Amino acid sequence: MELSLCNHSSYPRIGDDAEHQLLRRTIAQWDKGEKTDEAVRAAQDRMTELAIAEQVEAGLDLVTDGQIRWHDPISHLAAKLSGVRIDGLSRFFDTNFYFRQPVVQGKLERTEPLLLEEFKFAQERSARPVKVVFTGPYTLARHSVEKTGGAGGFDKMLEGYTAALAAEVAALAGAGAKVIQVEEPALLKYLDDFPRLEQSLTALAMSKDSAQLALVFYFGDPAPIYDHLQTLPVDLLGFDFTYNPDLVDKVASNGTARTLVLGLVDGRNTRLEDPASAARQLEKLARGADLNRAYLSPSCGLEFLPRGGARQKLKHLAVIRNTFLGSPS
Amino acid sequence: MSRAKLQGLGIDLPLFPVTAVGSFPKLDFLLKARTEFANKRIRLGALEKAERQATEFWIRKQEELGVDVLVDGEMYRGDMVAYFAEHLEGFEEGGLVRSYGNRYYHKPVITGEVHWDEPITLEWWKYARGITSKPLKGILTGPYTIMDWSFVEFYPDRHTACLALAKEIRKEVEALIEEGARIIQIDEPAISVRPEELPVAIEAMHIVTDGLPAYFIAHICYGAFENIYPGMLDLPVDNFDLEMSNSGLDMLELFKKCQYTKDISFGVVDVHTHVVEGEQVVEQRLRKALELLPKEAIWVDPDCGLKTRTVDEAIGKMQSVVTAAKALRAVTSDK
Repeated sequence: MELSLCNHSSYPRIGDDAEHQLLRRTIAQWDKGEKTDEAVRAAQDRMTELAIAEQVEAGLDLVTDGQIRWHDPISHLAAKLSGVRIDGLSRFFDTNFYFRQPVVQGKLERTEPLLLEEFKFAQERSARPVKVVFTGPYTLARHSVEKTGGAGGFDKMLEGYTAALAAEVAALAGAGAKVIQVEEPALLKYLDDFPRLEQSLTALAMSKDSAQLALVFYFGDPAPIYDHLQTLPVDLLGFDFTYNPDLVDKVASNGTARTLVLGLVDGRNTRLEDPASAARQLEKLARGADLNRAYLSPSCGLEFLPRGGARQKLKHLAVIRNTFLGSPS
Repeated sequence: MSRAKLQGLGIDLPLFPVTAVGSFPKLDFLLKARTEFANKRIRLGALEKAERQATEFWIRKQEELGVDVLVDGEMYRGDMVAYFAEHLEGFEEGGLVRSYGNRYYHKPVITGEVHWDEPITLEWWKYARGITSKPLKGILTGPYTIMDWSFVEFYPDRHTACLALAKEIRKEVEALIEEGARIIQIDEPAISVRPEELPVAIEAMHIVTDGLPAYFIAHICYGAFENIYPGMLDLPVDNFDLEMSNSGLDMLELFKKCQYTKDISFGVVDVHTHVVEGEQVVEQRLRKALELLPKEAIWVDPDCGLKTRTVDEAIGKMQSVVTAAKALRAVTSDK
């Protein structure tokens, strides 16, 4: 049996030693007018290369660019669209991490590529395929506020974000992206909005060409809508298994025809999972899913961990896989 | 009800008592001393001397402004969780984790059984009390927030870790009460983010406060209050210190749907803007509170700690709070 390994999405932008402080220091100096935009970009480039190298070294089959250039999961995309102004800080789900909130004050439009150059840069420097990751239209709309009706209501905002990201999916697929991951954690807070998500996802799927589209949830329990998710036009489904210990049983009993991204390794805590216990979870999951084409993954982006912890978690993926497959780690 | 409790504890406060949430900005000479200490260029004694001088500055400033219940200003603390993690057994300093943008902090790791060995804040509380005759709050970070903002490696789950911390934080509360503290504030900013864990936070707060002779305040800020209200009223405290102005007084709408039943420290100035609100703006916010809450239940303060503001901004904001409270006191005390 095969079981592939992948990173989830983000990776720490800094570490405790001098080499890994490069981006932090460069941005701090840029803030004071002591560094240029080019210097910041060069620091981002370097930290992206290091993030990719650490993922490859950990033995991952599918890596990301670590989202090193992202200010946060919301404003990195929204700020590039017309019709948006970026406002103050707001808490990101149940974390102690804060994003800058978009204020939508007009028609949302994509006037430039959002992630295309970042993808090209990462793929050129990676020995493994690079998965493109972005926050989905529904979650972007839920984290935006509307200024005096300028956006035309929530559904108009969702429509605008969907159109912009569908165009981006087409551009990414055209540039050779093999796997495009759409993250929609906000839906887990508004389960009744599943039809809205379905409509938005369908639009993205129509643009993906031969790329595989992954729909990923984290920071919540997808079990109540698990069966509905099977009907969506996506190739991969990804879940955070840390919020509901019974989700493994749900997948085992209800099954899936989709390729799964199995977020069994907690991306929010430095404690390493017991490999034997995780392997037992995989054995259960194998009853409902084809693990030959599944990915073992952290439960969420790894930037909620210190760099050392994130690196250990990635290496631990292989330990768990080897325990599951019965070979020495 | 709680006013009677305060009087029973020997504390008589005017209407709309003014307080601060906890932290004030660190003065330049203290910032310099902290840098020098971090670079091993001065000894701990020199740093503590600067911390005492800065504490005295803020005590005198609060007295001068007319604040009714003082705070020590937290000149000796850095991060509100890391400070307690550094002083409790069972913690290790973690690596850097991003807070937002280009800001990072060392997130503590619970690697062993947590244990309170000796008082953490007590000496600072005693120092501040020794230089003022005004009531002085004891201020601690609560067990739920310490748990939530740490990596939990030692305990099997968050619930167990939180309750273990609660037992140790209670010892700090007992130490403060033993020395005469009668108003204790437990800071729990993380409490609103996982509504399903509110019962855990309530259980922990019972461990911290049950049976102790003090007036307890819980400070909660920057969360989705709509997710935990009215359930949060079951927290065993006398007063909720809430960030009201940053959220456009949205919380009052919740109070309209379900009656608020405790005292409130009503945040009337935003701590994340450089703009110093005028006293009229502050008074308008207070009048909104009076439409729904009994005047005897209302304390007045900023939304949160003022440590991110400049010294002048912090003083300006406290001045606005005091002036507005006094103005309202004058027109409502005889009604």
